Amino acid sequence: MVFNSFTFIAFFIIFLILHNLPFSWKVKKINLLIASYIFYAAWNPPFILLLWLSTVVDYFVGRALYTQPNKHKRHVLLVASLIGNLGMLCFFKYGTFLLDNFVGLVNILGFDYHPATPNIILPAGISFYTFTTLCYTIDMYKRRGEPVKSLLDFSLFVTFFPHLVAGPIVRPHQLVPQFETPRNASRQQFFDGLFLLTLGLFMKSVLADGILSVAADPVFSSKAGLSALDAWTGVLAFSGQIFFDFAGYSTSAIGVALCLGFILPQNFLYPYAAIGFSDFWKRWHITLSAWLRDYLYIPLGGNREGTFRTYINMMITMLIGGLWHGANWTFVVWGGIHGFYLWIEKAITDRRTKKLSFLADVKSSPVNSKAPIAQSLLSVNPQFGLLKALLTFFLICITWVFFRSATFSGAWLLLLGMAGQIHQAQPVLATITIIKVGVIIVLMLTFHWLMRNTTVLQVVSKVPWWTVGIVWSFMLILLLLSQESGKSFIYFQF
Amino acid sequence: MPSTPLVKSALLAIIVTLVAATSWEIHLRQRGVKPDFDNDADLWTNKRKMVYEPSDQATVILGSSRAAYDIDIPTYEHLTGKRAVQLSMDGSSPRTVFDDLANDPKFKGKVILDVTEMLFYNNIPFMLSTPAENLAYYEKETPAQKVSFTLDVPLEANLVFLNQGFFSLNALLNLFHLKDRPGFQPDLPFPLEFNSTDFNRQNRMTDKFLIDTSLQNRVRGIWMMVNGMLPPPIKGKDLVANLQNLKVNVTKIRKRGGDVIFIRTPSSGPVAEIESKVFPKSEYWDKMIAATNCKGVHYKDYPELSDFFCPEFSHLSPRDAMVYTKHLVTILKTDKNWN
Repeated sequence: MVFNSFTFIAFFIIFLILHNLPFSWKVKKINLLIASYIFYAAWNPPFILLLWLSTVVDYFVGRALYTQPNKHKRHVLLVASLIGNLGMLCFFKYGTFLLDNFVGLVNILGFDYHPATPNIILPAGISFYTFTTLCYTIDMYKRRGEPVKSLLDFSLFVTFFPHLVAGPIVRPHQLVPQFETPRNASRQQFFDGLFLLTLGLFMKSVLADGILSVAADPVFSSKAGLSALDAWTGVLAFSGQIFFDFAGYSTSAIGVALCLGFILPQNFLYPYAAIGFSDFWKRWHITLSAWLRDYLYIPLGGNREGTFRTYINMMITMLIGGLWHGANWTFVVWGGIHGFYLWIEKAITDRRTKKLSFLADVKSSPVNSKAPIAQSLLSVNPQFGLLKALLTFFLICITWVFFRSATFSGAWLLLLGMAGQIHQAQPVLATITIIKVGVIIVLMLTFHWLMRNTTVLQVVSKVPWWTVGIVWSFMLILLLLSQESGKSFIYFQF
Repeated sequence: MPSTPLVKSALLAIIVTLVAATSWEIHLRQRGVKPDFDNDADLWTNKRKMVYEPSDQATVILGSSRAAYDIDIPTYEHLTGKRAVQLSMDGSSPRTVFDDLANDPKFKGKVILDVTEMLFYNNIPFMLSTPAENLAYYEKETPAQKVSFTLDVPLEANLVFLNQGFFSLNALLNLFHLKDRPGFQPDLPFPLEFNSTDFNRQNRMTDKFLIDTSLQNRVRGIWMMVNGMLPPPIKGKDLVANLQNLKVNVTKIRKRGGDVIFIRTPSSGPVAEIESKVFPKSEYWDKMIAATNCKGVHYKDYPELSDFFCPEFSHLSPRDAMVYTKHLVTILKTDKNWN
């Protein structure tokens, strides 16, 4: 089920009441686990079996990885876990993609091969819960932390419904200890949680679905070339839509968990206020980028194997990060462009660091006619921060074209439109739609810039209660008016 | 971080929201707006699931908006003793859904298929998109969506402001009419009063629409504009292939014990003239009946069906719909031996 639905509202109210009844902690955990399975089954009941399989296998494999003294057997267990988890992910998510590419390659080589296309349903959240269980088994292999003591706690770690389907991707040490100790939400946590849940639903239903998708969808589904105005409006609308949709989900998930007394990690920190791409990836889908850093980039060697390998490792990580998002080469290209941006940024940073080191040496010498220049290079000019952030946002918007387009030809046509190369194109967006998108995007960028070093709850704690109440009611009223219920989140398809 | 109790903020938010929502609801009711249902994929799906009832207990009604306005469901059900399962979709071709029923091995029922030629014989994307979306929703409906629909029904039945087409945030923002660029095709500006949909997917014009000629003229203008935008009608080999496809589907349904009857609901004034000119009865209706070997009830063939006047030239008023349905049922029983 999705957070923005009547079903979830009813489910959550019932569960909140149940969770606050005077049961033992173990009973509460069992209720929470059953509720989480109901939450997942409400999408497609048979796929519960897949979740159970993944949970049970990785619990026992994780324990064995930790306790097994024989290095060779530990390797075998790790490989088995990787093959099991990634194999399952590959089959369901990439099965058709791999087959299509194989058929394409074989046909190019001259063989006439046209198998029937399998109808593989993608289980909701498989990319997320697979990564969650993988980080446990890898941590157990490296003996980072202790194995989870009970299958109940491990099942909850994997299946805890707020984060199950679309993250945040949690690490064992972030969540398991919270299940091991009895807890109830304090009054502050409960109301903080409700506020975040409202904010998340507002971002998703009102902004993403209600306003921005109305502009993004016709632009990205257009088969004809578009004017620069339509093309840019659609791409900007999607840049907002994907943020509000995904950050809205994460915010709702964090809020729901908080209402139950559990704390999930932040997943977004105003990414469109990022200055540069390293900064962007510390602010966008934080738990995924951290996972890729810790379980892919660093094991590949990270930046410890020299400059050339650093660049290669960076690109591999971004390409796989792109592929994680979907079974299409456009996602790989999206990841590749981000990898390219990171290359450029790293090259500039490395060169600047060398220059600064040189000038720092010069500065420290008694006769330094270059001291004023060195000073200016050593200091960071805050006036340029906003410009750099806008430049970063602009370049990220280019990448969203590949992320959202179904085909390369569609992406290329849209890019041509953005560059003003399509003439006499038929308009596809109403003037009022363009204005709505413009207002929302400007407000979004302003909000991101002002909030880039703080959080919503920190701001809420400093603002008068009646102001918070008015803002809260504004969000609730617009939620009622938007009447956009039940649309699934974009990241559910990943 | 100092703790700030949000309890007062939450209470204020709830009070303000309830007052705002209640005020808005009262305001709309004072304007004469009545509750109705969003004619969405979930409502359509709810009806689609009913097609498997035995054919002596239910009849599927399929077509475009005319079938939804002109066949009065309570009248039909009262006279026939059968449930009317309304699957028609406004502004859409019924062919996609008819294909789906024909290819559904579990469907063995009877279909009254209404023909609005400009939609029935066209494959323009906008005429096919809603049926495709509704079918996709039906096929993939999740347990959570079923529960949401069940919870939503009493809300939509009782709250006027829950009308996505006219009172959602987007619809309200779109009331700020700004000049669009030349060449932009806006959504068709149907007035709120033109349509009210109930839980059975019965469409009805409101009383206000029936007495307000400016609203009727607005809709008439829309039909004239739409007629001017359509491509030339299919002819020759394309028409033959089209009718052949229809015949195949009729045959599939009949082989399973079901049946299909075609109807052509009334139209008036310039709309009827254009339709007669572009889709002559002898070239389309008569050929379709011959090709499919089906029975048909064309309004022009029966005096009791030919005298209706459509307020906006294309759909019957609620009162005329009851009369039309009564005559239709009589003709189906006595003249067509179709029960």
